[in-house]
Amino acid sequence: MLTKKTKIIIFCLLISLGVIVLAYGAFFHSIKVTTNVEGGSVSITKSEPALVKEASVGGVTRDKSGKVKQTYTGKAPEACPT
Amino acid sequence: MAAMVTKTKLTNLTSKLLGWRMWVQSAFLLVWLDPLGLRLHTVCSPVFHCYACPLATFACPIGILAQFSALHIFPFMAVGLLIAVGALFGSLICGWVCPFGFLQDLVAKIPTPKFDLPKLAGYLRYVVLIGTVLAIPYFLGEGHPLFVCRVCPAGALEVAVPNMISQATAGQQIAWPNAVKLTILGLFLIAVFFIKRPWCRILCPLGAIFSLFNRVSAFFLRFNADKCTDCKQCHQLCEYGIEPEKSPNSLRCNRCLECIRCDPGALTLGSIFEKPQTQKSAFENPKPSSVRNFCLLLS
Repeated sequence: MLTKKTKIIIFCLLISLGVIVLAYGAFFHSIKVTTNVEGGSVSITKSEPALVKEASVGGVTRDKSGKVKQTYTGKAPEACPT
Repeated sequence: MAAMVTKTKLTNLTSKLLGWRMWVQSAFLLVWLDPLGLRLHTVCSPVFHCYACPLATFACPIGILAQFSALHIFPFMAVGLLIAVGALFGSLICGWVCPFGFLQDLVAKIPTPKFDLPKLAGYLRYVVLIGTVLAIPYFLGEGHPLFVCRVCPAGALEVAVPNMISQATAGQQIAWPNAVKLTILGLFLIAVFFIKRPWCRILCPLGAIFSLFNRVSAFFLRFNADKCTDCKQCHQLCEYGIEPEKSPNSLRCNRCLECIRCDPGALTLGSIFEKPQTQKSAFENPKPSSVRNFCLLLS
């Protein structure tokens, strides 16, 4: 049985960790995504929120070389392929 | 006195809200079902609601964990959100906020015989979390038939079925989901009539995550042994087969809070934000037994 003081300490640690991790993802974390354009492919940097949106519609995938690749060209798909 | 007021406020609020739980869940539906068409899919919600659903305001955290696992990228936002929300509320989200849990609660209102599950069934959720959400996407990619989104009944019910209906009515070729997804949907649709919240209790990976916070979350279930009369009323009130007086913060608890209806009032929703009871407040609200003892002493 945890004492109230221990609970408060654990809660403070967890909430701080959660907020820091969330803020890092929202404001600082970015990923390089390879996208196909006419005449080849270019690498663009996307923020994590943008990648969350892409992932929610199946807009990105990981190729055999380990690179994150955009699955479409032009307009993004509207729904997840699954 | 102030300390007493703080405690009473939370206890009172909980007992008042208890009768309105369905309405609280309905109110939260307005947040998840995107009535304003915002489509804020750059952020995750803390609930189980498929982002492919045309009526989804936010992205599904489980879908994002799985997709990012397949991409070999750490999902900082989803993990941070789940830690923060879990630390605050734990499984209270499952019982009061989650739309998929609400759907199962509504179906459970249909008077059919309900069967109980073995206690070990609850641990399957962790197998689902580690297997279909983390390991399979990481090692086998998002194309694997056991990738969580490909077997998820929420996705099937909220997206695949409406899509199939719209395709059928429009005279287009129907895009059938894979056989595993259809089988799980079929089993879920049968189970939901005979087991209380089958998805949440057996397979939900999000519930598995939140349940890990039950012992340390800011809001928790408090058992007061002094008030308990051992009447076992809480056993009858709990629809999930938990013995709340033995493990009020059990991993299997969905925090529906039905058990706090017990007559002796031995179970209450507690919070770390409450101030401890002062000596003064204890005198202002003495226990009946203490008063009786005091009178006996005087006489």
